[in-house]
Amino acid sequence: MSADLLHPAFNDQVLDSQRVFRAALKALAEPGLTQPLIPVQALEPLAPASYALCLSLLDGDTRLWLAPAFDTPTVRANLAFHCGCPIVDERESADFALLGVQELVDLSGFFTGSERFPDQSCTLLVQLDALGDGAALSWSGPGILGQREVSLPVPAAFWQQRAARNDFPRGLDLFFAADQSLIGLPRSTRIAVSIEEVA
Amino acid sequence: MTPEIATRQRWMGVLARAGDELARYEAELKDTDYQLVRAPEIGMTLVRGRMGGTGAAFNLGEMTVTRCVVRLGDGRTGYSYVAGRDKRHAELAALADAHLQGRDQAHWQAQVIAPLASIQAARRAAQDAETASSKVEFFTLVRGED
Repeated sequence: MSADLLHPAFNDQVLDSQRVFRAALKALAEPGLTQPLIPVQALEPLAPASYALCLSLLDGDTRLWLAPAFDTPTVRANLAFHCGCPIVDERESADFALLGVQELVDLSGFFTGSERFPDQSCTLLVQLDALGDGAALSWSGPGILGQREVSLPVPAAFWQQRAARNDFPRGLDLFFAADQSLIGLPRSTRIAVSIEEVA
Repeated sequence: MTPEIATRQRWMGVLARAGDELARYEAELKDTDYQLVRAPEIGMTLVRGRMGGTGAAFNLGEMTVTRCVVRLGDGRTGYSYVAGRDKRHAELAALADAHLQGRDQAHWQAQVIAPLASIQAARRAAQDAETASSKVEFFTLVRGED
C-alpha cells in the first residue's frame, strides 16, 4: 500500500461519523426524503456523500464489494486506512457494496439475508450524479404518509432487479448518494409508477 | 529486515521514548505545510509476552497508546505510536518521522535523533547502575556439596 495516497477524512472522527450515521438512519426511516450530509472532502472517484457513508458505516467487521469504477488504489488505500474494512471480490460475501449507476441493471449475487436473519443482507451504497431528474415514481410504505414522489435517475431495469430480490423479510436496502446528500430506499418501500405518468 | 526498516525502527523508538524532550524541537518540526491524516487519538493496546522468551504467549495487560499520522505537503506520511496519553508528543513524533523520510534525513538525524538518543542512553545507564548497586549475592543457598 502506497502511503502517499492517503488523505484526511472526517475532521472530528467520532462526532462527524455519528452525524453521518444519524443522517443514514433518517434516510431509511423516511424513504425518499433527501437528507443533507456534513461537508466531507471528496475522494476521487467517490463523491463526498458516498465517501462519508463509507467512513461512517464500514469497519473491520464489514466486507465491502467495490464496483470496478471505484476500485482504484486511492480508494483501496484510504478505505483500508480509515475503515480497515476487508475488500472482497465476490458479491456473495459482501456486507456492503459500493455501486455506480451502471451496476444497477444487475443486482445478482448480493446476499438478501435469510428468513431467520434478514438483517444480514448486503446494503448497497449507490453513487449517482444527482438525486433528481429521473422518471417520477410514487413511493409508499413505512415512513411515508400516503405517497411520495421521487425521481431518481436510475434505469428502469433497476426496479425490476429490486422487485425480483424483494421477498420480505428478505431483500436489499439501498442508499443513493450524490454530492452531499442522501436518499434511503429500504426493502419495505413499495414503488408504483407515478400517477401523472399513467394519466 | 532491510537496513531502511531497521533505521526507521530505531528513530521511531527514540521518538516514542522522547516524551517532553521533543517539545524543544516543536517550532522546527512544525515549520512546514502539513495536515493530519489521522488526528492524535488515544486507545488501548494489548501487551502480550512469553515467560522467559519461550512457551505460549499470555496476555500481560492493556496499556494506553496514542497514535497519529501526518501528511506533509509533498505527500510524505509520518506515523507515530507512543505510550501514554500525550497527543502533542504523538503529533511531534509523527512529524519527525515524516521529516526523517525526506532528503534532509542526515540533518534531522543529527539535530533531533542523536541528542535524544544520547539522553536516553545516559538515563538508561544511570538506571542500570542504580539497579546493579542493589544486587544481592546468596552464598548460603549452595547446598549438597559434601
